[in-house]
Amino acid sequence: MSHHVLVIDDAATVRMYHRKMLSDAGWQVDEAVNGLEALEKVMNRPAGQAFDLYVVDINMPKMDGYTFVRELRRLGSTPPAPVLMVSTESQMQDATAARDAGANGYLVKPARPAELMLTAALMLGDAAASMRAAGKLVAGATA
Amino acid sequence: MRATALPRRQEITDADFLKFREFFYRKTGIHFDDGKRYFVDKRLIERIEATGADDFRSYFIALRFETKGAELQQLVNAMTVNETYFFREAYQFDCMVKDMLGEVVKRKRPGGRIRIWSIPSSTGEEPYSIAIYLLERWPLIDQYEVEILSSDIDTTVLESAQRGVYSPRSVGQLPQEYLARYFKQRNANEFVISRDLVAAVDFSRVNLTDANDTRAFRDIDIIFCRNLLIYFDDLSRRVAAEAMYDAMSPGGFICLGHSESMSRITPLFQPRRFADAMVHQKPIKGDRA
Amino acid sequence: MGLRKTHGHDALREVLEREHPRDMPGLLAQLRSGDVEQRRWAARDLAGHPQAAVALGTQLLRETDAAVRESMLNSLASQASETAAGALLPLLRSEDPQLRNGAIEALAGMPKAVGPRIAGLLRDADVDVRIFTVNLLGELRHPQVLTWLLQVLARDTEVNVVAAAVEVLAEVGGPDHGAALRAAQARFAGDDFIGFAVDMAIERIEAA
Repeated sequence: MSHHVLVIDDAATVRMYHRKMLSDAGWQVDEAVNGLEALEKVMNRPAGQAFDLYVVDINMPKMDGYTFVRELRRLGSTPPAPVLMVSTESQMQDATAARDAGANGYLVKPARPAELMLTAALMLGDAAASMRAAGKLVAGATA
Repeated sequence: MRATALPRRQEITDADFLKFREFFYRKTGIHFDDGKRYFVDKRLIERIEATGADDFRSYFIALRFETKGAELQQLVNAMTVNETYFFREAYQFDCMVKDMLGEVVKRKRPGGRIRIWSIPSSTGEEPYSIAIYLLERWPLIDQYEVEILSSDIDTTVLESAQRGVYSPRSVGQLPQEYLARYFKQRNANEFVISRDLVAAVDFSRVNLTDANDTRAFRDIDIIFCRNLLIYFDDLSRRVAAEAMYDAMSPGGFICLGHSESMSRITPLFQPRRFADAMVHQKPIKGDRA
Repeated sequence: MGLRKTHGHDALREVLEREHPRDMPGLLAQLRSGDVEQRRWAARDLAGHPQAAVALGTQLLRETDAAVRESMLNSLASQASETAAGALLPLLRSEDPQLRNGAIEALAGMPKAVGPRIAGLLRDADVDVRIFTVNLLGELRHPQVLTWLLQVLARDTEVNVVAAAVEVLAEVGGPDHGAALRAAQARFAGDDFIGFAVDMAIERIEAA
């Protein structure tokens, strides 16, 4: 059973970077360049194939990350899929803005791979991936 | 025997392809997967030769930095399929009769007027397809008054649309009974559409980026704007989208072409997913901001 | 009922007489205090009044309706003058992503008008303004784009600004820019993302 992750960022390099990390963990990755394209992709998912996790940038044209999360929550899937916001420190405003929009967590760009992987794995409930990421994080910390 | 390298004009490297792919996806939302390599390379080489560029890199730099965006439009043209024919992308017409009109009539009194705008009309296949669908596949057609408006910037195609003569290829997707009911076959290559249908469409010459042309269009309930905006430059696209937004009733719907997306154009519309299609909707009320 | 037969071109709707004259003071009055429809039309009609640029820019900071904002941005974009560019610049500092990105989009279409301001923006104390300026370069059709990118690569102290520049360079750069990219990679040696981005860019520009 593979998890489906949607990476939303207007920068192609960031999408590629996250895609690489997330697919290395064994997950299926799709991309969108802004919140509006992401919303369209969410709506076009066949039944039973909803995304399991969203990794969302904040500053994007047409529809920013906060608006996307609010619209996603309005669509109301059950159970609501976790949303991880990833953005520059200055863009982050504060933790409550992310939570108020309906996100489950955030990371500051550029996110360290092991941190991103651990957070994503925990949000997905993927125990094996969590263990691997935790191991890397510890190894990195003690290196 | 020494192998001769291809002249640089004829060679699209993997890096070239990736560079083009990312640029094109960013601009249009159209993604070419690796399987489309042959399709893409062939057309890129055609454009490189047509523009007289030395190689892909020079072509790409010129494309990226040209002031008016003319080559990008040519490129989009080359990369997309541009045929028009009756019942093209009919899943949107299905959506119209099954779902969109159902919502539209909730805001109408019995006998009320419904307005549908097809732009570009091109040679008429789209507005006439809409007319046929309404007559044949919308159970409530007799309970409302439906106006079909159709516009194009090119008067030649408008004239052609009003003459209503079509090739076998153009009518090829129509069920036999509709063909028999709405067309007379004049000869092996010509099908003439019924004058009743011609009379049912209000054709006009309109430049979608000219506010003076679009100002008169109001209270439109459904717009079909398929495979047009994709050929516009960024500003014209936004201006056109704005004009259509203004022309629509609150809650009205707009259908773009299969590979087009509002996500490259404007934040004004809300996506709506129905069984047959994804369309976009003007919010029913209030500040969207 | 059914399909309405048309006979020539009926007026689709009477064009209502405008309450206010369409001269600039009248339009500005409508822009500031009309209802949504009036504000939209005023915003649209002000495209033809280059002297309204500053007023459009100021009003953008106050307008809440998304469609009116889009009209104002498009009007400034059509004017494409240095004054219009100047009116858009403050929006880069807005907290509102729609305004910021709308401004970038509008500015992207006026390379001659915004060109003289780029150097200053790239030296702005605000990191975000520098990032957005690099984003703007990503869409700008100006002969100096490469020069500006290389300057950012060499000098900017913020990793996210440099990352944005690497991204644009991957598209517009050429084989001779490999050294500049490697230098940036070395400057941010601890950063995994810059490492990845530079490697990718070098592949794209086909530098050895």
